[in-house]
Amino acid sequence: MLSKYKRVMLIDDNEVDLKINSKIITISKLFDEIILCQSGEEALNYLNRNLREEDKLPDFILLDIQMPEMDGFEFLEIFKRLPSPITEKCIVAILSSTLDFGDIKKAEANPHVIRLFKKPLFPKELEEVLAKYL
Amino acid sequence: MNATTIRVLYIDDEENNLHAFKASFRRQYEIYTAISADEGLKILENVSVQVIIADQKMPNTTGVEFFKNIKHTYPDPTRILLTGYTDIEALADAINHGDIYRYITKPWNDLELHNSIKNAYDAYKSKIDLRNKVAELEKTNDELNRFIYSISHELRAPLVSAMGIVNLVKMEGLFHSSGEYWGLIETCSNRLDYYIQKTLQYYKNNKTISENTAVDFKKLVSDLIELYSYTDKDMHFNVNITQNEPFFGDAFRIEVILGNLISNAIKYQKETELNKNVNITIEVQPTQVNIAINDNGMGILNEHLEKIFLQFFKSKINHGSGLGLFIVKEALNKINGKIAVSSNSIEGTTFKITIPNVK
Repeated sequence: MLSKYKRVMLIDDNEVDLKINSKIITISKLFDEIILCQSGEEALNYLNRNLREEDKLPDFILLDIQMPEMDGFEFLEIFKRLPSPITEKCIVAILSSTLDFGDIKKAEANPHVIRLFKKPLFPKELEEVLAKYL
Repeated sequence: MNATTIRVLYIDDEENNLHAFKASFRRQYEIYTAISADEGLKILENVSVQVIIADQKMPNTTGVEFFKNIKHTYPDPTRILLTGYTDIEALADAINHGDIYRYITKPWNDLELHNSIKNAYDAYKSKIDLRNKVAELEKTNDELNRFIYSISHELRAPLVSAMGIVNLVKMEGLFHSSGEYWGLIETCSNRLDYYIQKTLQYYKNNKTISENTAVDFKKLVSDLIELYSYTDKDMHFNVNITQNEPFFGDAFRIEVILGNLISNAIKYQKETELNKNVNITIEVQPTQVNIAINDNGMGILNEHLEKIFLQFFKSKINHGSGLGLFIVKEALNKINGKIAVSSNSIEGTTFKITIPNVK
């Protein structure tokens, strides 16, 4: 095992950002495996499908806020009602380019969100948070 | 204006008056009459009238009582009260509780009543026009807010992706692979991002209503220092915060104000200075907070001190946007804060701010 942590899930509707952020994580060797999801629905489907498969669940989720259909906050509403193995194992942080004060306050107030990262993602910032929570 | 479209309801318990009224005015208005308050109410349920005339002295329900009763269910029509005698008490009651536009004594004079109905209709119309205008403005305002929100995302998202790519280039050791081109792209992206952020701050400051929440200055200042100091790691910060009691204020604007001042203090340093210092002193009092931000940077020329808070003022040496301090001043105006500045090239610059504690 090369990296410090096992699995991260990136949820972002923007393909370019998915590519950039997975590359950043790969180069900084923070995770062994990266699960890419282009929507909240896709992420929920993955989690539900692997409910009982510990070795497929992500340890960490990086969630975008503004996405069509299901936005990041709506995803969190459904996520928090998933069975406890998932909600306990998967730590969620938000990764967004938002400067909207309302969004930032809402993200900080959400008990399931440990941190709001602003894009662009800096591996050092991510590493510090991972060291603290994982 | 076509006067025949004005719908008037007249309520009086004397049938003769109803007939006389109809005879006098049926050519000018669309007239509905009722022999009692109850009958009047039935008409209101079915017809939307613009002017209501009611006689004061009626059995069961008086004119004023009727107007009081419909104040909330039919607030729009303009009301005229007819009184057979000068009943001061009824009039005082009518004005205080019935929302009456005019009162007219009986027997009425046709011309006077005609003018009153016309004026009452105009009052009705301006009320409705005003309400439509307000609704329209609220809609525009709402659209503008959504526009600002979408700029903050749609315009900034691709820019931030580009900045992410530059970071990747650095991580892969390719930053210097194409001469200085990557560095130039980075400079341009950062400048564009800075302008987007300042524009948004300016608009949000103009639009957002002040919302007061508890402010923890220790946390706020350490967050802001972390946010702005990544460009210059050898800067020394002296932070001295005394907060023994809660402070309530507009967290968004206070963050904007402190953020701009702290980032300026970091940005405008002397290049030759080995001992770069930023001193931040904050003292929370029951009625206000006193903030001083001092740096030993390049200072501000005396002749510029007057102009630094003006929109788009830039000095030749510095490469600012001319928006930072302007936004600071605008934000302070919104929350009744004050700012003073002193500066010279030897001791650097000190900004002193007071913001009321609104707990």
